[in-house]
Amino acid sequence: MQISIRNITKQFDRFPALGGVSLEIGSGELVALLGPSGSGKTTLLRSIAGLEHPSSGQILFDGEDVSNLSVGERRIGFAFQSYALFRHMTVLNNVGFGLKVRPRKTRPSRAEIRERALELLDLVQLGGLENRFPSQLSGGQRQRVALARALAIEPRVLLLDEPFGALDAKVRKELRRWLRQLHDRLGLTTIFVTHDQEEALELADRVVVMNKGEIEQAGPPVEVYDDPATAFVSEFLGTVNTFQTTLSDGIAEVLGTDFPVADADIGEGPQRRHGPAIAYVRTHEIELLSRERAEGIPAIVRAVFPFGGSVRVELAVEGYDTPIQAEVPRAFFEAGEVRVNSGLFVRATNARVFPQYN
Amino acid sequence: MASAGSTNSRRVIPGFGISIGFTIVYLGLIVLIPLAGLVLKSAGLGWSELYRSATDLRTVNAIWLSVWTAFIAAVINVPFGVLVAWVMVRYRFPGRRILDAAVDLPFALPTAVAGIALTALYAPNGWVGAYLEEWGIKAAYTPLGIVIALTFIGLPFVVRTVQPLMEDIDKEVEEAAATLGAGRFQTVRRVILPAILPAVITGFALAFARAIGEYGSVVFIAGNIPYVSEIAPLLFIIRLEEYNYAGATTVATLMLMISFTLLISINWIQAMTRRRFGNG
Amino acid sequence: MANLFGRVPIGLRSAVNEGAFTRLTLILIAVVFLALFLIMPLILVFVEALRQGAGAYFEALKDPDALSAMRLTLTVAVIAVPFNIVFGLAASWAIAKFDFRGKNLLISLIDLPFSVSPVISGLVWVLLFGSHSVLSPWLQAHDIQILFALPGLVLATMFVTFPFVARELIPLMQEQGTTDEEAALSLGASGLQTFWHVTLPNVRWALVYGVLLCTARAIGEFGAVSVVSGHIRGQTNTMPLHVEILYNEYSFVGAFAVASVLALLALVTLGIKAVLEWRYGNQLASGHRR
Repeated sequence: MQISIRNITKQFDRFPALGGVSLEIGSGELVALLGPSGSGKTTLLRSIAGLEHPSSGQILFDGEDVSNLSVGERRIGFAFQSYALFRHMTVLNNVGFGLKVRPRKTRPSRAEIRERALELLDLVQLGGLENRFPSQLSGGQRQRVALARALAIEPRVLLLDEPFGALDAKVRKELRRWLRQLHDRLGLTTIFVTHDQEEALELADRVVVMNKGEIEQAGPPVEVYDDPATAFVSEFLGTVNTFQTTLSDGIAEVLGTDFPVADADIGEGPQRRHGPAIAYVRTHEIELLSRERAEGIPAIVRAVFPFGGSVRVELAVEGYDTPIQAEVPRAFFEAGEVRVNSGLFVRATNARVFPQYN
Repeated sequence: MASAGSTNSRRVIPGFGISIGFTIVYLGLIVLIPLAGLVLKSAGLGWSELYRSATDLRTVNAIWLSVWTAFIAAVINVPFGVLVAWVMVRYRFPGRRILDAAVDLPFALPTAVAGIALTALYAPNGWVGAYLEEWGIKAAYTPLGIVIALTFIGLPFVVRTVQPLMEDIDKEVEEAAATLGAGRFQTVRRVILPAILPAVITGFALAFARAIGEYGSVVFIAGNIPYVSEIAPLLFIIRLEEYNYAGATTVATLMLMISFTLLISINWIQAMTRRRFGNG
Repeated sequence: MANLFGRVPIGLRSAVNEGAFTRLTLILIAVVFLALFLIMPLILVFVEALRQGAGAYFEALKDPDALSAMRLTLTVAVIAVPFNIVFGLAASWAIAKFDFRGKNLLISLIDLPFSVSPVISGLVWVLLFGSHSVLSPWLQAHDIQILFALPGLVLATMFVTFPFVARELIPLMQEQGTTDEEAALSLGASGLQTFWHVTLPNVRWALVYGVLLCTARAIGEFGAVSVVSGHIRGQTNTMPLHVEILYNEYSFVGAFAVASVLALLALVTLGIKAVLEWRYGNQLASGHRR
């Protein structure tokens, strides 16, 4: 199902939670709402579900305005962060709940409800656990019960609030892969909220980055990662070094190299082509050069963390107060160039420069 | 128990010996030895004597009256107690805090005071009793009056047992029910009430147990007519004043047996609930 | 929390709230029920007490028998409550700070007096010290009067109010664990210093709460003291017993006047209790947090 969100605003007691959000979500898409806490991502998800009522704006499901439908009438599947399983019901009754509470005319028979619930438990790979109570399940199993319960009502869209938030790292990765497979199999439009960028980038077809109640950028993971549209997105995604710099005719110098201001549109105004700017350089975009090459800026290695495929290096660079973080291939480290207290040269291979408004 | 102290010979925190010692001695002197005396006394009566006094028609009537009025009062307190707890937990309205505090009135008000106040209120010339009289209902000096007094005494047990559990209900659980298409009434019936059911049963049992042994608030309103409106605790006092220790002990033993049975079932319910639904 | 006058658009109820009409109806039923069952009897006590004017009211309170009942009630409470405070502190210290076999049994035994009918709580002392008991000859030989005298009233009150302080302190001290005490001891404090400067301040509001409930019950207890009192006017009548006697003599103003003093005490108790729950709720055992 296709979802159109048109200029949604939501005002909580005093502060605005959403300030005019518009978003189109295609049928069968898997979309991540990514942002720090308080960015409005959960409020947006809950507004789509009908658990919150926006102060203004419209929400359309397949062109039909659902703004005035209650949560029960919208036929959405919602998985809660806390799973919100019914503690006093068995797994089977939890999954069958949505069918049991239907009006008598459309309610399936007891046997059908049971059969349907068992099918769904098989789908989420929990066959055989139908008579357990939620307290007797692990966190990952509970999450899958919550999903099966949401799927039981044949929802038009699946909404997941921090689906893996309460799980430990290993289970989280497993479940992430499994959710992707499930989505591909069912083809259900799915929206999930997360504050974990890795989760959003790896799992979603499209990532919507939110901040302070507004959408900063929406696009495929690669686009959002490689081409951040705003300073916020640049800083939020990946591990970055931040540099205070100055724009002069749309050009800023970072670690001895000149870079153009990131967004051409922003660069148009004269006051934005000159003046203070902020530059973001990802750790892998810092190049380390041995003494012989003598290019870039001299730096001294302060610490080395040789764990994993690439090696993280902390450097003190002349003229910069805060240490710079770099990530270099392991081979470079194994060549013996990088040792604590050794002198090197650093250079930025890429930088995203944004004018500063304040 | 005292010997258990020495099995774990090295303790970091001092004072175990003296605190457990005082605890056990005081518990023994004030509670256990006196109660043991009661048990010994009733055992000393012998089965036949116990059976004879227990099947005495007046005793049977008094105990039966105490049990059924206590039961009805506890039953009344279930819906009203749950409703009061619900209103206190879920809604905000002027005067809520005062009403919430007032729920504990039956705990705080001396039972004799409650007793004479309820009697005056429901007597044929009382504020409420006069109205009931017009409808031909006699409240004071009848079993109905006993039920009223026991309802008064039992209400806080239900409210205060249910309230914390109701506060703990996760908002997301109710939202989950709503997203699955349950109407508000269905959510309350199928999700909220089952979640608080163990507390409701516990509250019911506590109110019931307390009401069976209740004396002060009931004795004024009861009427105290043998075979009709004479409650077990009153018959017990009468036997005592007649120096009929055997009769008094019999009534006491029967009352104790009933309340301990209830106590054990409360513990059993709580253990079952913990095991099944977890503590979270 | 739902707001009674919540700003939810008309026709669009929040997913987890009832409609305004349902809310109002439920509140109304609860308020009427509480007013009828709890508030009205309370008001009636004061109305009846003042029925013949303030003069008659204070006259009734100044009656020598009433005054002696008040003195006796206070005496009983002043003796019984401190014992239960010391017991509560000792029991909670032993139970919360140490592990030992039989702990759960001990906790259940401490609660035992709550499940015993008040009149039986009186009977146990009659059986122990009454004229049929094995102790009776010895007591008579030494001219010790326990039943129908102050010691009997105190013992019955102790039994009935036995668990109050302990059951407030035990869960709270169990929640708090032993780390504070271990820290104090590691810093060189003695056991007594640790208890005085660390443990006691941590539980002080729960202690106040427990003492409050204990005292209220000690003053108001009826059934248990009724059995051991002997009902001698001006000598072994506590306030609640005096209320009974006056009421049964149809001296209603007198009965309700003394009752109104007890009711006032109950109101003060409720007031302090509510303040403790709202103000210091986080320092009470979890069951009383608001």
